[in-house]
Amino acid sequence: MSQLKVGMISFAHEHAFSYLDALLSIPEVTIVGIADPVPARVAEATGKHNIAYYNDYHVLLEQPMDAVVICSENALHAEITIAAASKGIHVLCEKPLGISIDEMNQMVEACERNKVQLMTAFPCRYLAAVVQAKQTVDRGEIGEIVAIKGTNRGTAPSGWFVDRSLSGGGALLDHTVHVMDLMRWFTGSEPAQVYAYASTLFNDQLKVDDAGMIHVKFENGTFGVVDTSWSRKPPFPTWGDVTMEIIGTKGVLSVDSLAQVNEVYSQQDGLGQWNYWGDNMDLHLIRSFVEAIRSGTPVPITGLDGLRSAAVALAGYQSIQEGQPVKLNA
Amino acid sequence: MKVAVLGCGGMGAIHASVYASLANAQLTAVCDANSQLADAMAAQTGAIPYYSFSDMLNNAEFDAISIALPTYLHKEYTLQAAKARKHIICEKPIALTLEDAQEMMAICEENGVRLFVGHVVRFFPDYNHLKQTLDSGKLGRPGVAHASRIGGHPGSWFADESLSGGVIVDLMIHDLDFLRSCFGEVESLYALSAAKEGLDYALVTLRFENGAIANVEANWGYPGPFHTKAEIAGSAGIIRANSLKSSSLQLVKQGTNSDTTGTVVIPGSPGYRSPYELQLEHFIRCIEDGSEALVTAEDAYKALELALYARESAVTGKAVYLKGGNAQ
Ligand SMILES: NC(=O)c1ccc[n+]([C@@H]2O[C@H](COP(=O)([O-])OP(=O)(O)OC[C@H]3O[C@@H](n4cnc5c(N)ncnc54)[C@H](O)[C@@H]3O)[C@@H](O)[C@H]2O)c1
Repeated sequence: MSQLKVGMISFAHEHAFSYLDALLSIPEVTIVGIADPVPARVAEATGKHNIAYYNDYHVLLEQPMDAVVICSENALHAEITIAAASKGIHVLCEKPLGISIDEMNQMVEACERNKVQLMTAFPCRYLAAVVQAKQTVDRGEIGEIVAIKGTNRGTAPSGWFVDRSLSGGGALLDHTVHVMDLMRWFTGSEPAQVYAYASTLFNDQLKVDDAGMIHVKFENGTFGVVDTSWSRKPPFPTWGDVTMEIIGTKGVLSVDSLAQVNEVYSQQDGLGQWNYWGDNMDLHLIRSFVEAIRSGTPVPITGLDGLRSAAVALAGYQSIQEGQPVKLNA
Repeated sequence: MKVAVLGCGGMGAIHASVYASLANAQLTAVCDANSQLADAMAAQTGAIPYYSFSDMLNNAEFDAISIALPTYLHKEYTLQAAKARKHIICEKPIALTLEDAQEMMAICEENGVRLFVGHVVRFFPDYNHLKQTLDSGKLGRPGVAHASRIGGHPGSWFADESLSGGVIVDLMIHDLDFLRSCFGEVESLYALSAAKEGLDYALVTLRFENGAIANVEANWGYPGPFHTKAEIAGSAGIIRANSLKSSSLQLVKQGTNSDTTGTVVIPGSPGYRSPYELQLEHFIRCIEDGSEALVTAEDAYKALELALYARESAVTGKAVYLKGGNAQ
């Protein structure tokens, strides 16, 4: 395969802009078009890069292409993924993969049936510190993993993110999945039991949870916790974090993936800020998707990976209802 | 006030040397079953050494006593000292069971003596500042907190959970007490823990009646310097403390060999008055003027209760609701 023809569906999730930049930087990629029901959201991007615009993604999917990148509202991931798969188009879907187990199973099945690949966008796997941490663990440098204390704290989003019918949930769904994916990857084990707390503590106006703590026991006996809260806002000097304290039988490995910052104190900004200068994880995520599709090798993060991490967050909400840990059916 | 110290191990040595320099205390006697430790402490402080508590009780003059024995002995010696009408400053945790703690408090009350428990984190300037900032309202409504206490495994009798209570009851209890002082009573908690060769690790999440959530980490088995971390995120702000980052002094020395692997790095965070000094001075003053302590025996009891519930949750795998309800 020479050029990879890629379409993009929906810029509802702003990661789409970063994915677009990454796609534009890869010479082997041709962007076929961008579909978004809200023209204003993408007008600048399509104009600047001279990319065809489609109001209706179904029309975009009629064009000859190899793959699509989907950054719609969470609730639309399934419908769009299944439509693309039925046209024989490979899919890179933003996380969380879906908002119910049933629909995520349908997404995975539709892609299998149509012999296309489904990749879940978990860019944190491409953070340089995370990549090295995984190698360090695999070399046995901290012995066996016993526990992982993780955080994925952030700044509260707005719009559809805080409308449960479109997002499927609040901070617990939004921020469980990244670190949960890393925990599954590092431990090589599947979550067996989940217990969570979540509530709305930082912004009373929100109709979804913005504070959460989710606990997981893995099949191999290791355990972990993730703080999923949207607890960051100015004047805190950065938007959020992705951290893991990995406790092993022979040592502790601390990952503070976004620690590569310079501290900036400028009267122009008014507040002190931590400005990130580390590698761009989105670029490496997109490159690895493009590489896998071009070479016909399996994508490194599958639909099933996306499903399993989202399933933990969904089980978390169930455990909040029940007030006790719930088992995950494998 | 005349004071004595029972136990001249790690903590006893700190109590004794603090008393030796405190204006409102006079250290008259020190006691350890290990005569070398008692003698060394006596030589350093000028107090009289004893090798058995009964000997010290019969012969030494003192009004108050610090009990810095291994935790499993706290109750036995607190009861003896109380019956001899001595005020008691006991190291934390107060005891290993709630029944024992209750009995200690009751016997002290019956004998008209005060009982204090050394939850010294309340006297650490960084933690004090955390609480003051929270109380000032600058953080808004408290939302999600974290607290970590991370260090090497102390080994010795600490390694036997039936003697020390393990990492939750011995170490995490500091943060359980501190967080309770910040947020009030706990509604429910859930714990995860693992004990392996040379490692005792626990993660406990507390949900307070005021709605705040805290995840507390304790590690015995970290192969680096002891350190503590805490964060409170509220609706209007965030406060973070990290003892490694706030070290105001760092000594880096060339090792014996010329190569850098022999280099020794010693972090420090000096202050004119140590938290132990502030704590003991405060307790002695409370005995003198009869005032309520900043941290009471009741607080110590409540902290132990949280620690024991956390251990129970780690064993059963279930969340514990302190006032019932929701439990299934
Ligand atoms: N506040 C803190 O930060 C802190 C820190 C460490 C320990 N502690 C607590 O302090 C207490 C003591 O801990 P440690 O680290 O000093 O222990 P340690 O083992 O260093 O010292 C205990 C001492 O008690 C002596 N002893 C034992 N039985 C005795 C007896 N019957 N009569 C006389 N002496 C006896 C031992 O010889 C030993 O020297 C424990 O409850 C521990 O949990 C508190």
